[in-house]
Amino acid sequence: MFCEKAVELIRELHRMSDGQLPAFNEDGLRQVLQEMEALYEQNQSDVNEAKTDGRSDLIPSIKLRHCCLLRNQRCITAYLYDRLLRIRALRWEYGSVLPANVRFQLSAEELQWFGRYKKSLSCFMRSLGGAEAGGEGLDITQDMKPPKSLYIQVRCLEDHGELEIDDGTVILLKKNSQHFLPRWKCEQLIRQGVLEHVVS
Amino acid sequence: MFITDIRKDFYEVVANQRVALLVASDIDALCACKILQALFHCDQIQYTLVPVTGWQDLGTAFLEHKEQFRYFVLINCGANVDLLEMLQPDDDSIFFICDTHRPVDVVNVYNDTQIKLLIKQDDDLGVPSYDDIFRDDDDEEGDDSGNESDEGSEPSGKRRRFDEQYLVLLILSTMTELMLMFHLFHRREILFDYEQYEYHGTSAAMMFFELAWVLTKDTKDMLWWAVIGLTDQWVHDKITHMKYVTDIATMQRHVSRHNHRNEDEENSLSIDCMRISFEYDLRLTLYQHWSLYESICNSCYTSCSFKLWTLNGQKKLQEFLADMGLPLKQVRQKFNSMDMSIKENLRDVIEESSNKYGMKDIRIQTFGVHFGFKNRFLASDMVHAAAALLESAEKDESNSDNFIKALDALSRSNLERLHSGIDLAKKKLMAVQQTVASCICTNLILSQGPFLYCYLMEGTPDVKLFSKPMALTLLCKYLLKAFVHSTRNKRCRLLPLIMAAPKDVDKGTVIVVGIPPESETSDKKNFFGRAFEKAAESTSSRTLHDHFDTSIIELKSEDRSKFLDALITLLS
Repeated sequence: MFCEKAVELIRELHRMSDGQLPAFNEDGLRQVLQEMEALYEQNQSDVNEAKTDGRSDLIPSIKLRHCCLLRNQRCITAYLYDRLLRIRALRWEYGSVLPANVRFQLSAEELQWFGRYKKSLSCFMRSLGGAEAGGEGLDITQDMKPPKSLYIQVRCLEDHGELEIDDGTVILLKKNSQHFLPRWKCEQLIRQGVLEHVVS
Repeated sequence: MFITDIRKDFYEVVANQRVALLVASDIDALCACKILQALFHCDQIQYTLVPVTGWQDLGTAFLEHKEQFRYFVLINCGANVDLLEMLQPDDDSIFFICDTHRPVDVVNVYNDTQIKLLIKQDDDLGVPSYDDIFRDDDDEEGDDSGNESDEGSEPSGKRRRFDEQYLVLLILSTMTELMLMFHLFHRREILFDYEQYEYHGTSAAMMFFELAWVLTKDTKDMLWWAVIGLTDQWVHDKITHMKYVTDIATMQRHVSRHNHRNEDEENSLSIDCMRISFEYDLRLTLYQHWSLYESICNSCYTSCSFKLWTLNGQKKLQEFLADMGLPLKQVRQKFNSMDMSIKENLRDVIEESSNKYGMKDIRIQTFGVHFGFKNRFLASDMVHAAAALLESAEKDESNSDNFIKALDALSRSNLERLHSGIDLAKKKLMAVQQTVASCICTNLILSQGPFLYCYLMEGTPDVKLFSKPMALTLLCKYLLKAFVHSTRNKRCRLLPLIMAAPKDVDKGTVIVVGIPPESETSDKKNFFGRAFEKAAESTSSRTLHDHFDTSIIELKSEDRSKFLDALITLLS
């Protein structure tokens, strides 16, 4: 049946509904494009035949193939667009450097798009908080929820080695040591599970 | 050097710096740590907290952090040893030591630059004066010149020439040598007297609470932690009764200052707010979280007075309960489910009856906390719960895991942790009572002459609990009290007790604890620290003096007998 492959792509994305990005399904995309090409060829020849020979009984099949082509196109654009939205969310979650296993899931074009998105986001952030060149800018990807305090108390869950904070000092993160550190430094590590926020 | 103004010389110095907190593993240190953490959170002073269990741990922690930190705060560790020699820090590291261990090492007292002691100077210290211990450099050079002239006088003796100059020099040199020897001997004697007995001073938690009070940043939580720190010293028998009562009076002033707002009826506080109240409560451990009967059976004071390991003792207990008119069924129930009519006058009723049975001090001054409808705790309950968590003998939990758990249990928001601690404490107390009963009944306590000695064999039930220092010390004290009540030998009652228990079966080590003799007016001064050191030296036994209390050491089991013999000869 036509358009099965395209719906398969959509279902793949729908399965991972919590924002995770599956690998770029290049094969599936190629198959859909091939199907579209085959349908188009057939339609092209049928249209020529219908015009020259005046065979009006071919018109319903032409219409059907046209609808299938449009449907395939919608499915593919929906697939690509949804992936782009997820990749955009990755910038906000992981910061500007993506971990290797995530980067593996993106195609080359998607990586390019990600790079351009990063650039435009950083341009925007730089322009905030002082419009003139050399203005400090504001990192809006920090503090997604309004913070209650500048410093938080964290507990180290595993040996992580050393962590450098903004004024250059280094902190040794050893298991079961507790620290009182600036919030922005710890958020990344809390997300990774190395530190645990202690609420007393 | 001693710090006089704790706000200016300590708090304002670290105010914009990053600090490393090295905290020992006892409840007083935990409470002090919590108070200091709360203050640091208020003023956003960045810190790193590292738990340490002994001198080796302290050394490792210092090495790991000395590159990153300049200011170190040591809580309940480091005062009784020459810290600079042990740690070999750089010249710009500064140590703030708040330690209850006494005597404070003289080098720590007289060092002006790197060591700051957060200890009150009138705190019963008796530090020898500077001139008695340290001499100026000229006299040391006199020593050198004395040596040189000695060498000079040898060849003159051989040449048999009585040069006048040499004679004068000889006399002078002998005199300076004699003076130096006398001074050294005098110095050694002073230091020996000063360092002979080990004891404890004011609670570290109370010191930090005073800091908070001076900064007017004290809250009820901090006050409660200070009370717990003080109660820990009393529960583990580290301070005398007089000192405890004096410190309670100090705390009582703070408590009434915090409570005066409750007095008017219109502005009464919500039930969830924390209320600390002074209680003249019973000395029955954990009785409000247990049944009254269990608590009486497992509290040291009552169990020793009744001698509950004998049949006679059990009968007396039944008489005692009957005398008070408490039905057995009620008494064996959980305390909270007892009848209200019984609970109302319970304290007075018990006090009256216990006076008849010779227990004059069944009530003790303490504090209780009350927040929410269900949560009432006495300070001693918290101490026992936290101590049980701190020393829980689970296999896959390291010391720092236990430290974190115990630290969490002290906050009001971690009630399940606290309740699990109370359950562990109940098990620990029952284990202690059973071990005491079996030791007394099987006469495991032997008199070795100058001291009593008891060894816990490996197969004893719950012996794993007693491989930890605090639990073993508690067992030791209960055992000594029970022994004093049960023995007829008058001389044995005045003897101190040494107890040994297996610590690590694989490595073949035992942990040895020594406590001073039990008496009404005991000043809790312990001489076993020095005695253990000397005995280990003289027999070259393989010992590890790792604990901050010098009277607790680790020893290889094979060296046990020769170590004991050396101790006997040393102390008799």
